[in-house]
Amino acid sequence: MNSNPNQLTEGGISRNTKSFGLSLSLASVVNGLLVVAKEKSPAVMAGMQKLTGHHWVTHAVIVLGVFGIFGLALARLNGGNGPKTTAGGLIGLVVSGVLAGGVIIMGFYLLGG
Amino acid sequence: MQEGLKDAINSASGLKISDPAFMPSNANELVLMAHVVFGVVCMVSAVWVFAEVLHATEGNQARIRMVSRLAAAAMWLAFLVGGYWYVVFYKADKAIILKGPWPFAHSFFMETKEHLVIILLMLATYLPIAAANNLAASRDARRVVLWVAGLMVLMALMMDGDGAIIAMGVKVGLLAK
Repeated sequence: MNSNPNQLTEGGISRNTKSFGLSLSLASVVNGLLVVAKEKSPAVMAGMQKLTGHHWVTHAVIVLGVFGIFGLALARLNGGNGPKTTAGGLIGLVVSGVLAGGVIIMGFYLLGG
Repeated sequence: MQEGLKDAINSASGLKISDPAFMPSNANELVLMAHVVFGVVCMVSAVWVFAEVLHATEGNQARIRMVSRLAAAAMWLAFLVGGYWYVVFYKADKAIILKGPWPFAHSFFMETKEHLVIILLMLATYLPIAAANNLAASRDARRVVLWVAGLMVLMALMMDGDGAIIAMGVKVGLLAK
């Protein structure tokens, strides 16, 4: 397994750049979906409130946890070389993930939450 | 806090001045200002990284990496300080906003800001990872950093605007009384 996180793969992009980029995209969408889940379900909101004392703190911990855990896990794919993707594909996923997360959150509160 | 201002806030928010959200010192304002300062440092650092990467060479690569780490550190400080303020102090401001003429300052702008900022935090954390590639040699690596830094600047400007509207929501809430 490749043990150097900064070792360059396709296009001069390291495995961590790819894995954490994909993970950022995923975590952004999870962020948006978690907003909808907690605002629509009093049970989810109460559970998140109970876990850390404040729903927003729990929310941040979950989303950042997804970002960190998936970033580390994806870096182990393909014998430690990370996910197979081009720079264009990576950029597309990061931008679309950020936009999707943003649109879910803004759309939800714009429509009255 | 001046007595007149205390009375105005009590009246506008419906809370009692003994509530922990009302600090007897200026801690509330100092924490909030620190949040803004760190946020601006993050935004300026992202602009800096963007401009340097457009002209990336072996000579400025170390500086790009250093400034990208600065952006990430500033964003984490802005997030932690802002999060502390939100959890500890925001209750009083929220009550004033919701009773005032701009309830959307909370129901839309604060609600979106407190969740969108997590995406900005992840982008800022990702920036030094992307900047660790050989930017002088790889056009692909430069493109990734440019997109991430560009998204950071846009989101930071949005957060700044949201913060201004939230502050204005408190102001018009107090003035309405």
